[in-house]
Amino acid sequence: MLSLENITKRYGAITALDGVSLQIEAGEFFGLLGPNGAGKSTIMSLVAGLRAPDAGRITLNGQPMSAARPEARASLGLVPQHIALYPKLSAEQNLRIFGQLYGLGGAILRDRVNEGLEAMQLADRRRDPVSTFSGGMQRRLNIIAALLHRPKLLLCDEPTVGVDPQSRNAIFDFLEKLNREGLTVIYSTHYMEEATRLCTRIGIIDHGKIPALGTLDELLLKLPFEEEIRFPRTEATTALVAKLGAHGSVEPGDEHYRFRPQPGYKLSNFYQLTESLGLPARLFTSQRPTLEALFLHLTGRNLRE
Amino acid sequence: MRTILVLVRKDFANFFRNKAAVSLTFAVPFALIWLFGAVFGVNRKDSGPTDIPLAVVNASTNPGAEKLIEALKAEKAFKVITKYTADDKTERPLREADLAALMRANEFRFALVIPEDLFSEKTFGLHLKVYTNPRNEIETQLVNGILQKTIFSNVPQLLGQSLIARGRGTIGAERMDKFNQAIADNVARNFGGDPAAIRKGIEQGDFGAGGLGGTGAGGDSLISQVIRVESIQVAGQDVKSPVATRIVGGWAMQFLLFALSAAATALFSERDHGIFHRILAGPVTRAQILWSKFVYGICIGMLQLITLFLAGRILYGIDVEHHIGLLLLICAFAAAACTSFGMLLAAISSSQEAASGLATFLILLMCAIGGAWFPVTLMPEFIQQISKLTLVYWAMEGFSQVLWANASFMELLPTLGFLGGITAVVMTIAVWRFNRGKIFD
Repeated sequence: MLSLENITKRYGAITALDGVSLQIEAGEFFGLLGPNGAGKSTIMSLVAGLRAPDAGRITLNGQPMSAARPEARASLGLVPQHIALYPKLSAEQNLRIFGQLYGLGGAILRDRVNEGLEAMQLADRRRDPVSTFSGGMQRRLNIIAALLHRPKLLLCDEPTVGVDPQSRNAIFDFLEKLNREGLTVIYSTHYMEEATRLCTRIGIIDHGKIPALGTLDELLLKLPFEEEIRFPRTEATTALVAKLGAHGSVEPGDEHYRFRPQPGYKLSNFYQLTESLGLPARLFTSQRPTLEALFLHLTGRNLRE
Repeated sequence: MRTILVLVRKDFANFFRNKAAVSLTFAVPFALIWLFGAVFGVNRKDSGPTDIPLAVVNASTNPGAEKLIEALKAEKAFKVITKYTADDKTERPLREADLAALMRANEFRFALVIPEDLFSEKTFGLHLKVYTNPRNEIETQLVNGILQKTIFSNVPQLLGQSLIARGRGTIGAERMDKFNQAIADNVARNFGGDPAAIRKGIEQGDFGAGGLGGTGAGGDSLISQVIRVESIQVAGQDVKSPVATRIVGGWAMQFLLFALSAAATALFSERDHGIFHRILAGPVTRAQILWSKFVYGICIGMLQLITLFLAGRILYGIDVEHHIGLLLLICAFAAAACTSFGMLLAAISSSQEAASGLATFLILLMCAIGGAWFPVTLMPEFIQQISKLTLVYWAMEGFSQVLWANASFMELLPTLGFLGGITAVVMTIAVWRFNRGKIFD
């Protein structure tokens, strides 16, 4: 559906995207996971036609995307990182304006505005100025405004920044439902939990490059360990940490350690070691590694750095 | 076109939801026009200054000096002060020696001293002293002018007395008396009357122009008799409220420039909210956004101008209804020019704050040299030439042509052409800058 071929984009001396290539198929829920400044928003703005790449080619359904061809963008919906709404206007007025800009009117527009407000549980506040809404409500409205014209491809640029858990779940449920109904979604975030929950395929992006791309399982297979072990940070476990250094990496957290074994290291050896130190088995939790671990493994940095 | 109309409707919805903007665009200028009208005495039948404190010291024993003081007291421009009030509340006549201290204490800024030697046998004319604290140059010139007018209009016989005094100094008192007596005898012989009374009149400076000593009302003052000026008004004879008609346009332009600059610089607010990203990601072009702002600016500008002229109609009786067609036309062109100016400001500024600062500076400058505050003809010639490059000048010219000179469409056409030309040039630069700038990034 969407193809980015060897895209490069520079802002002065800074290279925001460096030869990025992506293929996104219809019906995918594709995640772009990376820290701030990695190049996620630049990809979104290029796909949305807000900027032109310095090199490379973007096509949507085989047609080249260009800032000079606004009609080609009619099948796109953009949920900007900002809450791109008119704060003094009501929720309904905002939606009507954005719908009309896509050529909607009359009963169709009215029905879609109603559907959107109902789906995001904002119908009872439809006539209130947006400035009186909570951050989460504004975020939900921000998404509805991008969907009124029933786009084929929805670009969500960090759509849950600053959102309360209740609104976040409402947004996730809504986007998942739309995806099940056939909407293709590109979702940029720096929250690995969001990418893990929502995305069928994820591109890890850092410094304008995509070092890893695939489903969650495919990505985690790139890690040299299958499981990581979490245990509390106490005086008793300090001796264990000293002995684990030769068998893998130990990442200290505020209250816990996270042990990622080297390839080939058997967990039975680990438990023998803990037993020899008199540490009870209930202190240790074995779990599947996360995208955070993958990002650290690939880039040497944490996602939130 | 549909997209532009949607965007214009959106701007209007935003505008009318913003009570402060509505108030600043319509109600506040309405109130200010009323206030400025009161300040400048727009509705007074006899406009001009009133009650400027003028101290008068009379050291002369000549009865004409008292008459001069009475004339000054009758002049509405002055509040004549002749007494000095001491700390113990006792009063005495002002002395020349009192003046400097009192003027430094800002009791008054102008004083007239009628000295003992009001007339001299060695020179022709009156000897008067004017003390000034010229803190305000315009006020000083105004006071000097009114003083001279009052003296020449009201006490012409003082000039006659001066002439006689000079005669005495030149040919001697005895020969002057004989000359006056001969004149009086001849007048009595030829026209009748008492020779002694006629001689007394001559010695008091009355050379037979009996009415010359009047108040000046009715056009029979000395000046009006010496120089007869026939005034023929070729335009504006039928204008009901001449002062308001001349100046409301200037105020309206100032308010319009501020309102439309604010409207144009609201582009920054939309950029900062990410609105442009949302709508440019759809089937909307940058050109459509800019055109919508231009159309909206013209609409809101016309609304504001019409409101302000209606205020002029209600408050000062400006004749709007008989010129409505051409007035709407000039308002549309003025609004277009002001909108293009606001767009240029937004295009060359990096932020709303920078645009607002620049707008204030440029608007005040344009209003000053464009004639919105005082007539361009009072300015130096090179400023008058620069003035013609400002949209304020041409808008004022247009309002004046329509409301004052009752111009026809053909007569108005060149002014519309200049305003249209300014709009085209400024908008072209603005669009070029917008395309190179970062407002849509």
